[in-house]
Amino acid sequence: MMVLVIGGSGSGKSAYGEERICSISGGKKKYYLAAMQVYDGEDQRRVDRHRQQRSGKGFDTIEQAVNIEDALGKMAHGEKTAMLECVSNLTANEMFSETGTVPEAVVEEKIVKGIVRLKKELLHLVVVSNNVFEDGRSYDEGTAAYIRAMGKINGRLAQEADQVVEVVVGIPMVLKGKDYAYC
Amino acid sequence: MRLVIGGYAQGKLSYVLRTYRLDEGQVVSSEMPEGTNKTVVFNHLHSWVKERILAGGNPERELETMIERWTDCILISDEIGNGIVPLEAGEREYRERLGRMLVEIAKRAESVERVFCGIGQRIK
Repeated sequence: MMVLVIGGSGSGKSAYGEERICSISGGKKKYYLAAMQVYDGEDQRRVDRHRQQRSGKGFDTIEQAVNIEDALGKMAHGEKTAMLECVSNLTANEMFSETGTVPEAVVEEKIVKGIVRLKKELLHLVVVSNNVFEDGRSYDEGTAAYIRAMGKINGRLAQEADQVVEVVVGIPMVLKGKDYAYC
Repeated sequence: MRLVIGGYAQGKLSYVLRTYRLDEGQVVSSEMPEGTNKTVVFNHLHSWVKERILAGGNPERELETMIERWTDCILISDEIGNGIVPLEAGEREYRERLGRMLVEIAKRAESVERVFCGIGQRIK
């Protein structure tokens, strides 16, 4: 199954995503797909905190900042599951590169297709995404395009997902697929 | 302890006063309560956290002390994490620390309510 987990900054979405993949993977091979690119000390601390949080839970980490479906080539054969963290980083990485800005529709298509590939190849997939929509500010065109792309991507992933969960102050609120048992 | 969260200007305080039959005299706004009132409503928790961070304080620990003393408190905070990562490091720290504090408070609270358009939805 595919679970889409969405939350804001510091909402506990990551901890919840881990909990879900650990409970549904049932001892099967478990990958953590890290989309974040590390630029500075603050990024490194975030990565360290996430590593610490999931240490001892049996994840194999694959760093995949762009071309998310390529992570499949780095996995072992056989039944496997994965948690992807997170769509907001992946979208930023695909959209803003040294060579310029990629149009939002192209980014949207590429990311959705990539994640649908993962969903098809994996037994279970937990995708973590971000609520970047509610700060009520006006942004430059580049950031506005990014927010629109994120909105479209989240919407399409929600259609693909068997279950969609919003995490609010650490509390999971099931928006789709309420009939699934969850931890 | 109860936690009430929601976006800016969603009527969180009026919701609390109405629901728990309290009056304005039991409300403190982004400051530590004083006195011996049994019940206290701590409004604008988010602003207080921001002030304490800017002042180099330790809001996590200070709040802990408050909770021990006012066991019957209702904490009200804006939800501020649902946006674009701020460019300014201090803003990022504030957003992240408040988020984690709220997760911690929510774990221990006897109820968590999310207010939208003045309507409270109990999520715990």
